[in-house]
Amino acid sequence: MEGMMPPPIRRIVVDEPATVVAAPAATSQTNGSTPSHSSPVSVTAPRRRAASLAGGIERMATHDLSILYGDKAAVKNVSLPVRQGEVLALIGPSGCGKTTLLRSLNRLVELTATASRQGRITLDGQDIDALEVTQLRRRVSMVFQQPNPFPMSVFDNVAYALREQARKRPRKSELGPAVADALQRAGLYDEVAADLAHPALRLSGGQQQRLCIARSLAAGPEVLLLDEPCSALDPGSTEIIEDLIVRLREEVAVVIVTHNLQQAYRIADHVGFMYLGELVEYGPAEQIFGSPQEQRTQEYVSGAFG
Amino acid sequence: MSAPPLTKFARSPRRSGESQDRRTELVLGVLACGVLALVAGMVIFVFAKAWPSFSHNGLKWFGPGGDVGAQLQAIFNSPADPANYVYLLRAWPLIYATILVTASSVALALAFAVLSAIFIVEFAPNRLRRILEPTVRLLAAVPSVIYGLIGVLVLVPLVGNHLITRAQKESVIFVVQLTGNSLLVAVIVLTIMITPIMIAIIVDALRSVPNGWKEGAAALGVNRWRVMWTIVVRSARPAIIAAAVLATARALGEAIMLAMVAGSVAFSPNPLDGPTFFLEPIQPLASTIVINAEGLTVVPFGQTLYAFAAVLLVSAAGLSLCGYAAKQPLKRYGIRA
Ligand SMILES: Nc1ncnc2c1ncn2[C@@H]1O[C@H](COP(=O)(O)OP(=O)(O)O)[C@@H](O)[C@H]1O
Ligand SMILES: [Mg+2]
Repeated sequence: MEGMMPPPIRRIVVDEPATVVAAPAATSQTNGSTPSHSSPVSVTAPRRRAASLAGGIERMATHDLSILYGDKAAVKNVSLPVRQGEVLALIGPSGCGKTTLLRSLNRLVELTATASRQGRITLDGQDIDALEVTQLRRRVSMVFQQPNPFPMSVFDNVAYALREQARKRPRKSELGPAVADALQRAGLYDEVAADLAHPALRLSGGQQQRLCIARSLAAGPEVLLLDEPCSALDPGSTEIIEDLIVRLREEVAVVIVTHNLQQAYRIADHVGFMYLGELVEYGPAEQIFGSPQEQRTQEYVSGAFG
Repeated sequence: MSAPPLTKFARSPRRSGESQDRRTELVLGVLACGVLALVAGMVIFVFAKAWPSFSHNGLKWFGPGGDVGAQLQAIFNSPADPANYVYLLRAWPLIYATILVTASSVALALAFAVLSAIFIVEFAPNRLRRILEPTVRLLAAVPSVIYGLIGVLVLVPLVGNHLITRAQKESVIFVVQLTGNSLLVAVIVLTIMITPIMIAIIVDALRSVPNGWKEGAAALGVNRWRVMWTIVVRSARPAIIAAAVLATARALGEAIMLAMVAGSVAFSPNPLDGPTFFLEPIQPLASTIVINAEGLTVVPFGQTLYAFAAVLLVSAAGLSLCGYAAKQPLKRYGIRA
């Protein structure tokens, strides 16, 4: 590409026809690996997180994982580590298999009758098939794209997992501290403390999603999966949840799916870019957004920023 | 190339939305009022007819005392002179029988229907489910006489000849005759009769619980049975209540089938009789009406039968109200009723 105008970049945006954006003027910088236009510095939003916590230990990993719906592959040969103490963001256009990959990590994909899996997934080096599925899901919990609080009070929502995990039905007073703690960690406590009997479905969308996060945290997970948790929310709630995720990564390994690149850039330590079921590129956020190694990553990242 | 005919068609009054809406509203309004008027008319008619029976007995009408069968006989045989009409009635054995048979079979059917619905919705293999569901719907549509027939031809002789011992027959010989027509058979047949419709309603309700709630619970490491029980059944409570109310109404009003299998003896089974309790005959209100329908022309007797009808009518109304009241607290948490 040296000395030539780079070709126009197809902008891949979710649910919109691909548009062609003007290629960046290749005057001074012709080095393809660090195009100025895709430099994250040009993004106004600052990164929320401090520097990456140094090399966390690997909690989960997929090994040549493929997921098929019928005979259509939604995830193809993905190998990916999930580390403790960091946020892993999965990005990619709609329909590229992000949700499917995420749901396979706690075997929720098995609820789909047509789905089948090839390849291995490990949790702390142990094959997740060897674990009892309920045990796995307690350790690897998930928050969904659409907030789905149960039709109960705020308290009962958070206490749900605790009650289900207990041998003997605990009394409300025994659960109080744990519920308050989970709500506090999810950044919702101050808003709902006055009335924990409030029906969860009457909270705002952002509060509902944080309640769902609190509900998951109460179960004491080691890995937290978040599937586009902010896609149905307003910017204010999104900001609160991003802060929350960055704080959470100190306690649990976080995997977040997002098709909002700015968000991925703001909160992720590592980023995986998926395209048509394949994991095209995986690396530190700085690399994916600053100097992607793959052509397709560069096109996607710059297109969305362009 | 021009499109005037089309424009004209579009403007025709039939297609003009507003006036059509108004007409629909009017027609539906008239229909609804017609139904209300019909119900009101029926209630007033029944109560007017029943009034002499209630007014002669006062609250004792509902209480125990004497042999209802003999009392009914006396009413039927009352002199033709209105001044000498006999009205004395203590209907408790009939009311007791109605409550006993209805409550037992609704309780049994409810437990059975909820468990079956959970099985059909969540656990049944696809092929079994495809057979089970149409079967349940078919069973729900079987006329009650057929259940009564099977009860009388199969269950009653079975119980009468094999289950009831000679000792049991002798133990109550001076009070009542044990033939197999019994509370037990009545409850069994009634349960079988009302369960299918409950299953059908509850299956639909369980299925309409948003998938997001089920997945949300599953993602917390809760097993399938607990997800069904704590989330799905919980959220479907209004429909389960509705199914129970419907089934209770059907059980209350079931006359012919119960008349066939329960034994037409107005007897109050005594729990102190131990197992024999279940083998004693009963006669609920609705059956009493059918059994004695030919006596309607005798004025005081007819009025007494209308009094039974009035009690059934009020119970049905009370039942609907109870169902409605039971659903109210659920609404607060966003469970759709
Ligand atoms: N339940 C399903 N049955 C069949 N195909 C599915 C199902 N869910 C998702 N898919 C397909 O799998 C692919 C990946 O979907 P998904 O994981 O939801 O993508 P993303 O979350 O990245 O938008 C899509 O092509 C989609 O049509
Ligand atoms: Mg998705």
